[in-house]
Amino acid sequence: MRDYPPLVTAWTDRSAVASDPTVPDTRSPGRLLWWFIRNQGLLFVVCALLSLTWVLPGATAPWILGRAVDEGIVPGDTARLGVWVLALLAVTVVGAGSGVLYHTMVVRSWLVALYGTVSLVTHKSVQLGHVLPRRVPTGEVLSVSGSDSDQFGAFLEIVTRAIGEFIALVVVAVIVLRIDPELGAVILLVAPLLVLTSAPLLRPMGNAQTRERTRDSELTGRATDIVAGLRILRGIGGERTFGSNYAVQSQRVRHAGVRAGGWQALVESIGVLLSGLFVVALMWLGVARVRDGQLQIGELITFLGYALFLLQPIRTFFFLTQKATRAFVSARKSASVLGQPDPWPQDREGRLDPSGPLVDQASGLWVEPGELTVVVSADPDASAALADRLGRYLPRDVDPLSMDSDEDARGRAATAARRRAEEQRRTIQERDREQADRAWGVTLGGVDLADVPLEEVRRTILVSDTAAAVFAGTLQDAVDPHGRCTREQAEAALRAACAEDVYDITPGGWQGLLDERGRGLSGGQRQRLVLARALAHDPEVLVLVEPTSAVDAHTEAAIAERLGRHRLGRTTVVMSASPLLLHHADRVVFLSDGAVADRGTHDDLVARRPDYRRVVLRAASEEVPA
Amino acid sequence: MTTGPTLDLATMSPQDPLADSAQTWRGDRTPPEVLPRELAQVDRDAPARVRWRALWRRHAIRRDRAEQTLASALEPVRGLPVARPRDVAGFLGGLLRERAWLVTAVVLANALAAAAALAVPLILGRLVDAAVAADGDVAGDTIRTLTLVVVGIVLAQTLFTFAAKWLAAVLGHGALAAAREHVIRTVLRLPLGRVESASTGDLVTRVTRDVGAMSDSVRFAIPEFILAVVTVALSFVAMAVNSWLLALPALVLMLVALPHVARYLRRAPAAYVTEGATYSRINTTLSETVEGARTVEALDLQDVRRRRAADDIAVSAQAERYGMTLRNLLFGVMDMAFSLPRVIVLALGAWAYSRGAVSLGQVTAAMLYMEMFYEPFDRLVMTVDRLQVGIASTTRLLGIAAVPPDRTAGTDRPHGSELVGTDLRFAYRPGHDVLHGVDLALRTGERLAIVGPSGSGKSTLGRLLAGINGPRTGSVTVGGVELLDLPLSTLRREVALVTQEHHVFRGSVRDNVILAREGSDDEAVRTALRTVDALAWVETLPEGLDTLLGAGNYVLTPAQAQQIALARLILADPHTLVLDEATSLIDPRTARHLEGSMSALLTGRTVVAIAHRLHTAHDADRIAVVSDGRIVELGSHDELMAANGEYAALWRAWTS
Repeated sequence: MRDYPPLVTAWTDRSAVASDPTVPDTRSPGRLLWWFIRNQGLLFVVCALLSLTWVLPGATAPWILGRAVDEGIVPGDTARLGVWVLALLAVTVVGAGSGVLYHTMVVRSWLVALYGTVSLVTHKSVQLGHVLPRRVPTGEVLSVSGSDSDQFGAFLEIVTRAIGEFIALVVVAVIVLRIDPELGAVILLVAPLLVLTSAPLLRPMGNAQTRERTRDSELTGRATDIVAGLRILRGIGGERTFGSNYAVQSQRVRHAGVRAGGWQALVESIGVLLSGLFVVALMWLGVARVRDGQLQIGELITFLGYALFLLQPIRTFFFLTQKATRAFVSARKSASVLGQPDPWPQDREGRLDPSGPLVDQASGLWVEPGELTVVVSADPDASAALADRLGRYLPRDVDPLSMDSDEDARGRAATAARRRAEEQRRTIQERDREQADRAWGVTLGGVDLADVPLEEVRRTILVSDTAAAVFAGTLQDAVDPHGRCTREQAEAALRAACAEDVYDITPGGWQGLLDERGRGLSGGQRQRLVLARALAHDPEVLVLVEPTSAVDAHTEAAIAERLGRHRLGRTTVVMSASPLLLHHADRVVFLSDGAVADRGTHDDLVARRPDYRRVVLRAASEEVPA
Repeated sequence: MTTGPTLDLATMSPQDPLADSAQTWRGDRTPPEVLPRELAQVDRDAPARVRWRALWRRHAIRRDRAEQTLASALEPVRGLPVARPRDVAGFLGGLLRERAWLVTAVVLANALAAAAALAVPLILGRLVDAAVAADGDVAGDTIRTLTLVVVGIVLAQTLFTFAAKWLAAVLGHGALAAAREHVIRTVLRLPLGRVESASTGDLVTRVTRDVGAMSDSVRFAIPEFILAVVTVALSFVAMAVNSWLLALPALVLMLVALPHVARYLRRAPAAYVTEGATYSRINTTLSETVEGARTVEALDLQDVRRRRAADDIAVSAQAERYGMTLRNLLFGVMDMAFSLPRVIVLALGAWAYSRGAVSLGQVTAAMLYMEMFYEPFDRLVMTVDRLQVGIASTTRLLGIAAVPPDRTAGTDRPHGSELVGTDLRFAYRPGHDVLHGVDLALRTGERLAIVGPSGSGKSTLGRLLAGINGPRTGSVTVGGVELLDLPLSTLRREVALVTQEHHVFRGSVRDNVILAREGSDDEAVRTALRTVDALAWVETLPEGLDTLLGAGNYVLTPAQAQQIALARLILADPHTLVLDEATSLIDPRTARHLEGSMSALLTGRTVVAIAHRLHTAHDADRIAVVSDGRIVELGSHDELMAANGEYAALWRAWTS
């Protein structure tokens, strides 16, 4: 039987996708939910059975009690009474034992779904890599793991409970219809009606709760906003303005909350009224039938007991529809994330030869192997796009639409927005596949990057861009995440990137812990740490985008000198317009309007090209005049 | 080509920072196990007795881990402090005392609703008695009377239930609004030095997740708690009224169960806090993976990230197993304690009935009470559970107020605007001074650039000059008065640190600009906007100054956001500005458009620029080169070039 944490292998091996049972069925939300149930296997069946044995005492106790009264207590038959007391004891012990077992199994089932979803999202994210943010907004990916995963657990629980209670309901129906068909029919028909009667009130209550949630998330937004801008608020002022803005919104949330609370009170008190009147009606009818001699006193007690019991399974079915709706919404979002295919063709088998030149056809860039080439461009976007091409990264030209703007939004506008987002994602998917399939236009040693497996490109060419992330963990892991470096190599990389101060300020040295995203380091420290990591990775071809943009001139000068020495004899391309770096370049390429305009040493270009001088000089003058 | 200057940081620092590298480097790179062996490996083939014992051994290990997590959550090594649970009790008590009449009304309405609900079984019992007495042939009058009484009771119960729930919502939301507004007020009072040094992550977690947890407990748990206590207490009363004999089994078994419940409640907070911590760890790891998806791909870190997620899940699973076992222990006891009485009551009732001690109606009522009793008691336990989680979060929220103030305002006010620093030393960690006796007097109206390698202390010097932190020794005075002795409102008009974080607040354009002088009229706001060339585009906005900005509202371009930030400073109008380029990654594309706005701000003010770029230094009146906590060169560009020192070497490398 499945247990948690579940083993998930989906998308870890590109070739084994079709045969892996942990790959979910994302063709539609319904199929995904069905996959979750199938994926649970025996565990699901066990949960359903245990939920039945758990509710069975409640379903049979009124009947046993009635028999005990009629056959034991009233006639004074101690033996019969003993039988029924033992029967009650038996179902009670089974029920209590099942409670613990059901809880154990349902937690297991819930967590298999929850942890499984987290793993699937993780695997999908690392499989797609830079393609992921083209397809799905980051927040949506995180919400699949953070909240939808929980919905699936809740869905599985309510389904198993509904199955158990449905069977219990059938048992009760048989019992009451056998005792008194007419009265039994009344109970079985009226109980569901009672629960349904409160249904019309559920919509205004739901609306009020949605309003409260919307206002509350706006309030949380304001709190986060205040914290994010706290330096400004405490440094310059404005505490009163934003404190009172927050208070105003807080009061709006309070009003919405009180109103939603009012609706909820109404729904609950009407529930009390209806079930109370139900008991009254049963009492009236039951006593009348006792008077007619059609019902024994114990049987009356049985009916009264069922009047209380029956409301429970019906409430469960009610929850089932609610939670199934929510699970369906979650499944739609999850299917859209987990169903994103990887665009890269699987049939390429070539190899790259890093001893040859790196050539970009679009710009005319020609990088000699083993040299340090610095690319200068008036437009930083052009050099960033060039770096993306050199590494076979799809261009950053799309921002995907979100599908989960508001979970509770219904109606035509929301449906249309969702359809638009789905449509757009499909278009991007197709375009990605088409781009990934044709010749790329960048060659290394004469081989187009599209003619080799993507893994081969990643292995050979490392592009370290300005958005490169730092991950939580030890400093050693941050510099050498694969554990391939010797200490001397890691030290050399740290020194070449002038990042020794990061080592110094991290208590515990190499084993010192960095916070998530390198929070707590300054921008310059993070940038130098990223550089150190790229150097320690020691790729055949290294492409660095603006590696010193957040570093002060003193340190930049030192990096410029050490970088060339560290990469001596390896192909290195740096996108930068900093004169300190340009001095140390073997070759400088000057990019104008995205195409190579000139090449030479820094001194040559300074001497012969006024437009180059302007770009390099502007890089220096482009600062806040002080 | 001129060779670049050899500025080797290793030789500039007194000692090599990597000196102890060999001691901290881990040569064995097999990934460390995240779980102790006993938790990670379960022997499923062992005999049942061995496995049973191993289960409890694992439970004990998990408990220790959970208790440790709770202890470290309550006493964080880093970040903001945490209040004591006693303070929370006082705080919540205060919230309820302020609403004493409402609390009374909630208790009363709940008591009446519960009493009504509990009266129904009694009457049904009477009815059974009447039926037995008349041998089935109950008098029409009796039925009518009893039916009407039940109808009356049901109507009363309906009304009281509505009142109880609605008043509880009024109480809960009122108390919650007061509590969160209190928290935000304390956040807005955090000492300036603390705000500038601490990362905001901890605070964000507190104002989002902890406020959420507190909200759950204040909104739901407190009213539910009141309801459950009232119902449980009244249930006993009702059962005793019905028949004290038949109430005994429930009472006895509940007393037997109570120690277990108490133990559960003692243990549960650690389990919940630990579970919560593991989930936020899972989320953090995943958001790093998703946001850094490209880096993961570039560096071939797929396996590393998948393994990290699996590790997080493994740790989380252990926390869940602990919580599950705790709940199972509780459920086992409670299920028995609350369902066995019905068997006993039946047997006992039959025996007592045969002796004429109780009527059949009393037995019926007692049996109905048994079925009704479990739910409120179960709810009582669960709400205490939630209350405890809420209290843990509230300790973190109230902890924000425990940050000691970093300055006390004196009564002296500055005469003049000369900013003078003398013999400045400062340490972030005791015994590690980053400034070693710096003297610096600003000339009114000058532009002073501070340059130096990272870690040299130039940013710290800037923070001392701006009055963010106080020096360990020495003093920074403006017009003869210590900066730290000025109230913040005065300090802000003397000197401001410009980090150029172009944060745009959620609020109107006006709200975003008038920060420093709240209550300024629209004309002042317009003038400030006009000075930075922003008025033209602000006036084209749909609602002018009232246009809402910030997340989810009108989106500004980076350049516009910067102009808003500059307009704030124009309105604040301090005579001295400290600009820190290190924290301002100015987008080169917007900087070009902002030159005019920026120079409008700087005109007529004393400016200290902590410069990254040498061009900034070149344009300044004086340049201070800071190295290793000391000013090693000070003078104009030309003077420093003539001195042919460090600055001159750097400049030649830059411009040649």
